[in-house]
Amino acid sequence: MAHVTTPFPFPEHLQLLMPEMLVAVAAMGLLLWDLFLPEGRKHWVAYMAIVVCFVGAFLTLFVCAPTPVEAFYGFFILGPFSAFSKVLIFAGTVFSIILSLDYMKNEPNKGEYYSLMLFAMLGMMLMVSATSFVTMYLGLELMSLCTYVLVGYQRDVLRSSEAALKYFILGSLASGLLLYGVSYLYGVTGSLDFTTIGHGIANAPEGSRMAVMLGFVLLLSGMAFKVSAAPFHMWTPDAYEGAPTPITAFMSVGPKVAGFTVFIRVLVDVLPALQSDYVTLLSWLAVMTMAVGNLAAIAQRNIKRMLAYSTVGHVGFVLLGLLSATASGYAAVLVYMSVYLFMTMGTFAIIVLMRREGIQGELLDDFAGLSRARPGYALAMGLFMFSLAGIPFLGGFWAKYTIFIAAVEAGHLYLVVTALLFSVIGAFYYIRIVKYIYFDEERVAFNFSDNRLMQATVALTAIAVVAIGFFPGPLIHACRAALVGIA
Amino acid sequence: MMEPLHNVLGLPLLSICTFLPAVGALGIWLFVRGDMAVRWAALAVSMVTFIATLPLAFAFDNSTAHMQFEEFHPWVSSFHINYHLGVDGISMPFILLTSMLTVVCIVSAWRCIENRVKEYMLAFLVLETTLIGVFAALDAILFYFFWEAMLIPMYLIIGIWGGKNRVYATIKFFLYTLAGSVLMLVAVLAMYFKAGHTFNILELMNYPFDFQWQFWLWLAFFFAFAVKVPMWPVHTWLPDAHTEAPTAGSVILAGVLLKMGAYGFLRFSLPICPDASQYFVPFIVVLSLVAIIYISLVAMMQQDMKRLIAYSSIAHMGFVTLGTFMLTQQGLEGAIINMISHGFVAAALFLCVGVLYDRLHTREISAYGGVVNVMPIFAAVFMVFAMANVALPGASSFIGEILVLLGTFSADHHNVFAFSAKWVAVGAATSVVLSACYTLWMYKRVIMGDLVKDSVKSMREMSVREFGFFVPLIMLVVWIGFYPMPVLDVMHVSVAHLVDQATASKLDAAHALAQMQSVSQEIVMH
Repeated sequence: MAHVTTPFPFPEHLQLLMPEMLVAVAAMGLLLWDLFLPEGRKHWVAYMAIVVCFVGAFLTLFVCAPTPVEAFYGFFILGPFSAFSKVLIFAGTVFSIILSLDYMKNEPNKGEYYSLMLFAMLGMMLMVSATSFVTMYLGLELMSLCTYVLVGYQRDVLRSSEAALKYFILGSLASGLLLYGVSYLYGVTGSLDFTTIGHGIANAPEGSRMAVMLGFVLLLSGMAFKVSAAPFHMWTPDAYEGAPTPITAFMSVGPKVAGFTVFIRVLVDVLPALQSDYVTLLSWLAVMTMAVGNLAAIAQRNIKRMLAYSTVGHVGFVLLGLLSATASGYAAVLVYMSVYLFMTMGTFAIIVLMRREGIQGELLDDFAGLSRARPGYALAMGLFMFSLAGIPFLGGFWAKYTIFIAAVEAGHLYLVVTALLFSVIGAFYYIRIVKYIYFDEERVAFNFSDNRLMQATVALTAIAVVAIGFFPGPLIHACRAALVGIA
Repeated sequence: MMEPLHNVLGLPLLSICTFLPAVGALGIWLFVRGDMAVRWAALAVSMVTFIATLPLAFAFDNSTAHMQFEEFHPWVSSFHINYHLGVDGISMPFILLTSMLTVVCIVSAWRCIENRVKEYMLAFLVLETTLIGVFAALDAILFYFFWEAMLIPMYLIIGIWGGKNRVYATIKFFLYTLAGSVLMLVAVLAMYFKAGHTFNILELMNYPFDFQWQFWLWLAFFFAFAVKVPMWPVHTWLPDAHTEAPTAGSVILAGVLLKMGAYGFLRFSLPICPDASQYFVPFIVVLSLVAIIYISLVAMMQQDMKRLIAYSSIAHMGFVTLGTFMLTQQGLEGAIINMISHGFVAAALFLCVGVLYDRLHTREISAYGGVVNVMPIFAAVFMVFAMANVALPGASSFIGEILVLLGTFSADHHNVFAFSAKWVAVGAATSVVLSACYTLWMYKRVIMGDLVKDSVKSMREMSVREFGFFVPLIMLVVWIGFYPMPVLDVMHVSVAHLVDQATASKLDAAHALAQMQSVSQEIVMH
């Protein structure tokens, strides 16, 4: 990794940080702008936030060098890997803002809502660029605190506040675990820098084995919590169900991308000496996560809760990519997250559209007969469900495929067989939604608010899922290229 | 090698056949409005596809076992996945069968599907693409891609237009098939790394896997294909799916989908794992005999006509698997003829039941009786196919079954049981009696007898359209029954090649390879 070395290095360093600075300034600016906007025009903040995301994404790609560059003496890094994750995070945020525009029409105080989303996004961006536990923790907490608030944004809705409280308490516990683990590693190695700790662990004296293991296990637990791997997934269903639907969508992509990116960096830079240990640990986590996610999802009647467990199930598959501990495994994680972005955002867009007079549109029954009322939305939803189930000609197939082939290559054949069996179980609750949409008769009349932006989102995500299904080559290639200089 | 016609014209013929229905479906979805227009448009697309598949037969070179009409383009280069199509004498007939039966399906649904006509036609056209794709694919991942994609339209066809219990049936069908085929994916991925990063089926056929590998690969493939065939005891999804599916759904299910499993044995199991295939011959023989004898007895006891034909399909597919694993030229040719013949006969029987169902809206055998008095032409048509189901000489199924029996008699494998293959043939031959029992008994109860039921008295004779889709099926059944040579000629060389592959052991080559690898490893170490 190339260091920027000039006598007065800050201008070059700041250049790498430009997307983050843009987002930070914009988030604060929007908060102020909101105060001066008349009540009817508050949604302008949202449009501005979308523009910020686009500019940020282009800026990220613009300042990103073909190989990773470190800045601020090893606190920050920007390379293709971070840039790829950041683009995913930007995309996830844009989609969530579009969903919010429809969902939050009648809610007050929209301005701070959107700047909270931008701040959360800033946290994620810091996380994926972290090369030190200080930066990582800073980003993580910024992201988490904003998300806690966003989950509880509908103050007067009981389940929203309840979800926020649960999420906050459990999330703080996880942050505590993580910090505690980091402090052990610091104690052994005397550093907070990822690679320095990695060398320190590799050369740790015999007597410090216990401390290293404690730190390692606590660190992994904290990260497993953030990506909602079982048995640290308990907060996920409650938070997903209680949060406003666009925030559920927001949480299911951005924080997961950031979490997995940090996870990869930690495995590669901090824990290479403990590879056999973390592979074993992650294998068990993966199996447990797949089991819990896919089995518990079957019992759900609320689609947001079901999707929460489905996310847990998908995290289980992604963990297979992580524990392959190879470049193709990490590339598979990126492929999975990219495809997941489109599938999930499309699904949540339809859930937001389902909300109508007196109906939340969140129960599985509410989808009954959608195919007659709105064949277009029904087709899109059907495609997303089959894609989530991993059936070919849809993107979800290649997401699973890349993960499985990486795991087979790394010699985890049994894990792949287990994962495939769980994916068959998982297929059941996805095709059950298709059943409601296509096989059942309409129970309550649908009256969709026709929002062009939402229609475009559904169409775009559906087309993306099909296009990736037929031509996965470019995406897979881009994900592999993003790992240059990482593993 | 003779220059095939399509090269002269410069057309990627197989791609056209595969994707024409899907592209047509897209066009119909976007541009065609109104039920009647959709019906005609779908018929036009399926007819054009059928016509597009005809050159595959006419320009086919019978004298070679090489793949023909090959197309090769890199698809996902990071994983060496190629868009690789091609047909030989084994797969080509199935493509024609598919394109023909799709036309029949669309015509047969003309009146009975009133509800969501557009979606129905689109589902059938997309299904046709996936089915032709399965038979044309020469890349294992491409094969899997079509194989699984087939589940989506079929799930919708049974679930939307099916009978009372359709949701249960279609979910069962979906999960059963998916569970079987994911193991195939594992096998394919494992082979990829073992055989040096290739998904090319032709290269995998030549790679010398040692016995351990063949054993596990064979088992993984077996689960995928056995569910699809379906073989006893993983057949339970089929009666449900058949019973609940709309008529055309049953036609395509019996006519083509079941053949995918048997085709998989021919394309993957036999050539890639010849030693394991030989090892498992007794196992397959037992399962096939159970399918033939036990399932025939089960069929006899059915009250529902569609269920009866579904069980009869399982029994006939038992013949197919038996013929396949006799690993003789006659056995394999018989198995393939049987598959094609069953494609016509079972499809036609389901259409016959469909004709009855359209009139009385019940499939119970006991609801009918004396139909011959009101529908004499239909009774005659039904008779032809009932006889074909019994494998009466002169019907295509007779050729298939007699070849399988001959192949079984002549099979002389060192590992087929302690008693000889003759007794297997004797057991299989009981099928001729049993199928006559259940088919003719059903025929007697439905068609013959006195006209006592008022509902039956009010039945109309078949319309011209209904008669129309039986005519080609009758002609094909009788044609293959009397003069099977054209079909046999097409497959002869390819089957001979397959027999060579399936009976030649890979173990010596695997041993040599292992030795070479250990030697080269030693050299590296020094």
